Formats: sequence, structure tokens, C-alpha cells
Amino acid sequence: MSRHRISVRVNGQLYEREVEARRTLLQFIRDDLDMTGTKCACERGDCGLCTVLIDGTPTKSCLVLAAEVDGREITTIEGLMKGEELNRVQRAFIEHGAVQCGFCTSAFILAGEALLKRNPKPTEEEIKEAVGGILCRCTGYRQIIDAILDAAKGAKK
Amino acid sequence: MPLPEFDFIRPKSVEELTSILAKHGGEAKLMAGGTDLLVLMRDRLVRPRYVVDVKGIKELRRLSWDEGRGLTIGAAVTMNEIIASDVIRKRFGALWSGASDLADPTVRSRATLVGNICNASPAADTAPALLVHSAVVEAVGAKGSRKIPIQDFFKGVKRTALGPDEFVKAVHLPNPPDGAKSWYLKWKRTWGEDLALVGVAALVANTKKWVVRVAFSSVAPTPVLVPDVQSAFEGPGTLEEKIEKAATYIPGGICPITDVRCQAEYRTYIAGVLVKRVLRKLLGLS
Repeated sequence: MSRHRISVRVNGQLYEREVEARRTLLQFIRDDLDMTGTKCACERGDCGLCTVLIDGTPTKSCLVLAAEVDGREITTIEGLMKGEELNRVQRAFIEHGAVQCGFCTSAFILAGEALLKRNPKPTEEEIKEAVGGILCRCTGYRQIIDAILDAAKGAKK
Repeated sequence: MPLPEFDFIRPKSVEELTSILAKHGGEAKLMAGGTDLLVLMRDRLVRPRYVVDVKGIKELRRLSWDEGRGLTIGAAVTMNEIIASDVIRKRFGALWSGASDLADPTVRSRATLVGNICNASPAADTAPALLVHSAVVEAVGAKGSRKIPIQDFFKGVKRTALGPDEFVKAVHLPNPPDGAKSWYLKWKRTWGEDLALVGVAALVANTKKWVVRVAFSSVAPTPVLVPDVQSAFEGPGTLEEKIEKAATYIPGGICPITDVRCQAEYRTYIAGVLVKRVLRKLLGLS
């Protein structure tokens, strides 16, 4: 099996590693970089819980090979805080109780933040569309959508 | 669970890709978005010795349109790039709506049109649009390139007309007839994301004479055109009567199965409902 040297920026920090061809980006992030905020569930692109941002675009990391992301910029949930300060979407999720078991939370927050970067004032329909690839098995979608709507207004203090 | 072992190759040019396939074609799988391939590999349904990523080839990333040549979509163009195209939204509505209804937006950032047709699932959401738009597949192999009309491309469930040394470089869609409109409707179990229980694309034009084309996903071993529908529009009658008549040709043009998603009888029924719905939409009746 081939091995590949990759140089990838994750949450602003440059990592140079050698990976097996079959290593997925999800395994690379969780097992090689020890960042476990990105969750592993279906590993077949259905649940969306492994969503990370590649160059700002939400992507299911179980369906990407680590060897493909050479030279790219990855953002995981660990990269959203500025110092000690939570990101606007993270704050809104806390305020709206948009977290139940928490397993889908990283994915929804990243997809929400990516949407707000692209479209600062999304409608409810646009939010539903943007997070459509992520499943919440606690089914707390109402709070998740409200939190993203609210983050767009500027989260309450 | 780890994926099975393979060598990963990332060619930089069409020539390099051609020579890789000439040498290793039978043992290689091409990867564009990877959203089907990596799932099949994880399930050990395919075990390629080589995975060849086509995204490093600039030429295959091209999406272009002009009045003379029509639309050309390279093998590495993603669904989200198709959805972002104004020309596709305005002139190739069935392709735009098919791409917009495929999986979910996160998958669409990686999934490609060419990957969708090369995977050759009977449920491929973009295939009916290509059928009603008379698309042509440009295949390249060791012996040169050839053009395959889309209706000859699908050979069975997960089987295409491509030889082991061939790959799809691009899909071409001629400009539709004057005044043509097209759209794709998809019936699903859940509205967020699902494979089609039935999908239907239709194209309608009536400037000089009627051009009506209807094609389906998920109702036969391959995506299928139902050409008889055209004749329903050639006789006399109101638009509503023509649409009702068109729907009567559908059961004879499809051969659905019962599977985990729904029953064959239900698919036949829904195919008739959807074809009327999409024709009414295109003819301005709803």
C-alpha cells in the first residue's frame, strides 16, 4: 500500500505527516492528531457527524482520504474558539439549549458557522438546507435552527 | 473500520491517467468525489488495487457553455458547482434540479456528475436529466476517444459501456430546442435526503412542433427514457388530455422492482403521478 507525505493546516497549525493511502481524513484528525471533537459514527456519508471544513466548505471527513488534503486548510470544532472566547454559533447553541447528547453538536456548529460566513443573514429555509446533511438522533432540530438564526443576529449576551 | 489496502495515485494530466488505465485498468477504480466509491470499498463490495484520483487534472475541472457547442461538464465538476451555474439553472432545469436533490449539500460539495453516472446506480438522480437532454459521454481510452450517447451508456445495475481502460473525460449537453424547459422531480421517504423511490425528468418544447421527453430513475435496472410519451402530444386534444394520455405510456416503459424502499406497484403508481406533475409544471398548468 502506498504512503503519502502530506502537509496540511488544521485550525491554523501546520502538520506534516506521512499517511497510509487508506487513512481517511476523519481517522487522521481523530487518531493521528488526537482531536476527538470530530465524531465518528456511520462512516458512510449518511449521518454527517464527521463534518469538518475544508478550505471553509463543510465536508464529511469519513469520505475524504487524508492523502487528498495535502496543501489544504482544515477547520475542526477545536479551531472555532478565539483564545478563551467561544464562537458566536457555539454561544448561541448554549443559550438555546441546542445540545442534548452532544454527539452531533460539532458538525452542526461547523456547518452553521460556514453558512454564516457565506450568507450572514440566512432564512430559516436556507439554514435547514445548509444543515440537511447532518442527523440529530435526539431530534432537537428546532433549537439547533433557532441557535443558528440567533447567531446570525449577533448572539445574545 | 479501516478501508481495505490500496495504492493511491493522483495523475496530473489526461495523458498520464490514460496510461495508468492502459496498464492497470482492470485493477483500478477512478475516484472523483469518492462519495460512492469509499462507501463501496468500506463495505468490501469493491477492492481496487489502485485508487486513481482525477481531481488533480485541471482539464477535468472545467464547466463551460456556449451557444454553439452547448454545455460541457468535466469529470471533476461537483454537484455544487453545477447548482451554482446560472446557465444550467436557466437552460438545463432538469440537471439543475436533479443535482439539487441529490443526497445533501455536504455530499454535493464533493459528489460529481460524472461519478454519479459512472457509479451507474438505477437511482442516479442526474441520469434522467441527461437522458431528456440527449447528453453525450466523452470516453477516453488507450485507443483514443469516443462519444457514447447517454442512452447507450448504462448497461445494467452498476454497469456501463466503459471498457476497463476507459474513463469519462466529460459529458456534453447540446443546447435544448428553442423554448424548451426541463425539470426533475424525486419521490422520497424523507424530505431531507434519500435515494429516489422514483425520479422523473421531463423536457418540453413547443415552438414549431412538440418535443416531449421523459426519463426515470429507480424504476428499471438502468435509468430509462420512455420515448412513447412524445406521441401523446402529437394528436388533437387539450393539454390536460395529452398529459393524461402521456401517463398511460409509463407502465409499459418501466419495470420496477420491490425492494427495501418500496413496492414495485407503488413505484408504477407514483411514476404516473410524478410524470403528470412534472409535465403540468413545465406546461404552466400548476
